[in-house]
Amino acid sequence: MKILVCMKQVPQKDAPLKLNESGTWIREDVSYEVNEPDAYALEEALRQREKHKGEVVVITSGPARAQQVLREALAKGADRAIHLEDDKFVGLDAFNTAKAFATAIKEEQFDLIFTGLQSDDYGYAQTGVILAELLGWPHATIIMQIEKTDAGIRVKRELEAGYFQFVDMPLPAVLTIQSGINKLRYATLIGIKQAKNKPLRKVTLAEVQSAIGGNLQKIEKLYVPQKTKKTEHIDGPPAEIAKKLVDKLRNELRVL
Amino acid sequence: MLVFRKPIEGVERPQMPADVVIVGGGPAGMACALRLAQLIDGHNVAHPDAQLSKENIYVLEKAREIGQHCLSGALLDPRAIAELLPDFKKEAPLDAEVTKEAVYFLTEKGKFKFPITPPFLRDHGNYVISLNRFVKWLGSKVEETGITIFTGFAGSELLFEGDRVTGVQTDDKGVDKEGHQKSNFEPGYDLQAKVVILAEGTRGSLTKQLIEKFNLAKNANPQTYGVGVKELWELPAGRIAPGEVIYTMGWPLTTHEYGGAWIYGSKGEGATSIVSLGFVTGLDYADPRLDPQRVLQEFKRHPFVARLLEGGKMIRYGAKSMPYGGWWAIPPVAGNGWMILGDSAGFLNSARLKGIHLAIKSGVLAAETAFEALTKDDSSAATLSEFQKKVESSWIKEELWKVRNLHQGFERGMFAGMFNTGLQMITGGRGLKNRYPGHAGYDRMRKLAELPANPTADGYPEAHLLGPYKGDGKLTFDKLTDLYHSGTKHEEDQPAHLVIHDTNNCNTRCVREYGSPCQNFCPANVYEMVDDTTQPNGKRISLNPSNCVHCKTCDIADPYQIINWVPPEGGGGPNYDGM
Repeated sequence: MKILVCMKQVPQKDAPLKLNESGTWIREDVSYEVNEPDAYALEEALRQREKHKGEVVVITSGPARAQQVLREALAKGADRAIHLEDDKFVGLDAFNTAKAFATAIKEEQFDLIFTGLQSDDYGYAQTGVILAELLGWPHATIIMQIEKTDAGIRVKRELEAGYFQFVDMPLPAVLTIQSGINKLRYATLIGIKQAKNKPLRKVTLAEVQSAIGGNLQKIEKLYVPQKTKKTEHIDGPPAEIAKKLVDKLRNELRVL
Repeated sequence: MLVFRKPIEGVERPQMPADVVIVGGGPAGMACALRLAQLIDGHNVAHPDAQLSKENIYVLEKAREIGQHCLSGALLDPRAIAELLPDFKKEAPLDAEVTKEAVYFLTEKGKFKFPITPPFLRDHGNYVISLNRFVKWLGSKVEETGITIFTGFAGSELLFEGDRVTGVQTDDKGVDKEGHQKSNFEPGYDLQAKVVILAEGTRGSLTKQLIEKFNLAKNANPQTYGVGVKELWELPAGRIAPGEVIYTMGWPLTTHEYGGAWIYGSKGEGATSIVSLGFVTGLDYADPRLDPQRVLQEFKRHPFVARLLEGGKMIRYGAKSMPYGGWWAIPPVAGNGWMILGDSAGFLNSARLKGIHLAIKSGVLAAETAFEALTKDDSSAATLSEFQKKVESSWIKEELWKVRNLHQGFERGMFAGMFNTGLQMITGGRGLKNRYPGHAGYDRMRKLAELPANPTADGYPEAHLLGPYKGDGKLTFDKLTDLYHSGTKHEEDQPAHLVIHDTNNCNTRCVREYGSPCQNFCPANVYEMVDDTTQPNGKRISLNPSNCVHCKTCDIADPYQIINWVPPEGGGGPNYDGM
């Protein structure tokens, strides 16, 4: 099986964030890490390759620093990497990112494309789905398990409230992988060393420029949430408190 | 039941041969790697028929990314980096050249400015830097040379054959809290190395193993340490100029404790300026209730500092110990298969509060010796002891010799210390005798019962320094708030890396004798005494290893010396971005 894993470098979860001057995104001076669901997607691809042979290719878009994500993936066992390298890729919306990826891989023939369920920064959860649409492939989201079948694959999707859905699909297909589908492996010293000699193809903005257009989605404004938490005490005898509480829940908060 | 980290037994470990393994990617280790690459490249140009490879030269760094565990003030004396990379000014991240310096003595409300800045605190020609960014830059230079930096891997054990160090074992990954292997367990590697270079920073854990095994410190003074607790602040522009440097002595410490503060104006960003401030508390204080994080908080409440910080925002926090025992506390730095660099060896000038340039220089000198060892294919003590000689004939010794007795002179308090310093300045560092003896800091901690009944009169920490600090959330902070700003993070499910040899001692003896000082000296809330009615004193030691900021204070200051700090699973620890 030949699997492409789409990965993204995102600001570290605990990093203190500062807004940029225009208030449309954060300042660059934070530390970055692999988007968590993407790490699970990579792990799943490596496990599928261990079972069914084939190749795992990783792809990302972003400035030079994003290469770190690919190097980590290569160290863990991916066979080769593709880097769409340009600062401008950072601001692309999901539609254009998917278009850029589709263009960069048009010479390749994958059986499966994995993405993480969503990114920890923008949280669109769209790139994988749009990519499937652009390629004309079926897709399934929030994947918790993948089994190869004679006709293709059978996947387990996570639904709400503890429900799961099993779907049989043909290949090729795009799957968006949920965190926790497996247990992540560690990179090893030998893996890191070997990663240095694995192929990493760089794709410039110019090479995919013709495929992408203006963003369809745009962030108007980011702001740090104001603390508006208020504590209200309800006093009185228990029966009265209960009555007032129900009244508040029903008429003010409308949760009953 | 606490389970402590130790190498998993009975597993087959992957073996990897190496020419040189440098443990620790700080300024010393990176400078060493870079110099070694320069020498090999030079050799390969000159000897096309006898090429040396950089393929098997490795740097181990326990932080997830280069520079993330590097914390310092920091002021850089450019002497060593200028020797290593003459063009450094063009590309190194230097925030500001020092333009102005002042030294103050603080009383509770007032301040006295020293009429002249003592010569060793004159910083013109030095640079305010973020050590984190500086080391990141050095690391990128190392990577360009083709030398591999393994980030997220700690050196856990030294490998020995007889009296020879033959390599380093890296940390086991994927071990749970109970010490069992998880499904993703990866055993640490045995890196079999011709030359092992320890550049672990202050109180290095492998360095400690080595020193203990061969009793290397037998002729040296005991190393003494301070712990620097630092905060980075964002202030409205104009409060303090980039490159402005302020040192203070005195309040909130009494004349019985060694220590002082720094305030460095770093570069500005638009309408804000970044200021680094911190307080170094000598880890040789008497009162076990003293809390270095609290010392910094009290310091900020001084009107002089509070005014400076008003309206600003604390953005980062961290802590790191530093060795300032000086020349007489340095153990032998080379032997059969090994060399020790930088803070691990104790190359720090405590008068100037600077060690980065000495770390870099020691790395450069060790690289020259390692290069010789590789070309001769001999890394025995005979070859590597060249490093010892190089240090002794370099400006490292010249600089440290002048202040060789400085810290010992302060053992009897600040006034004696200032007298001794003055005397030593006139006599080229000698003072009253060529070598002042020193004492380990933990030896000087007093039991609660031995503390004077009337603390203020005797100059022991007054009531304002005792007990956990609440903070006002604007100027001053409790430990957990500060800790949050260190960005520290560890895999939670792993054995405790603060190896306490005898927890019974904590629960039955220390709590009674010293009042559990670990709760006070740890700047990261790792140690906690929790209620436990089954214990004779109703308290039991509990650990929060995930809070650890890798400062090593516990290993240094514990009065019974039963805490051994070992590296946790690689990749864990603080994130000192921008510090």
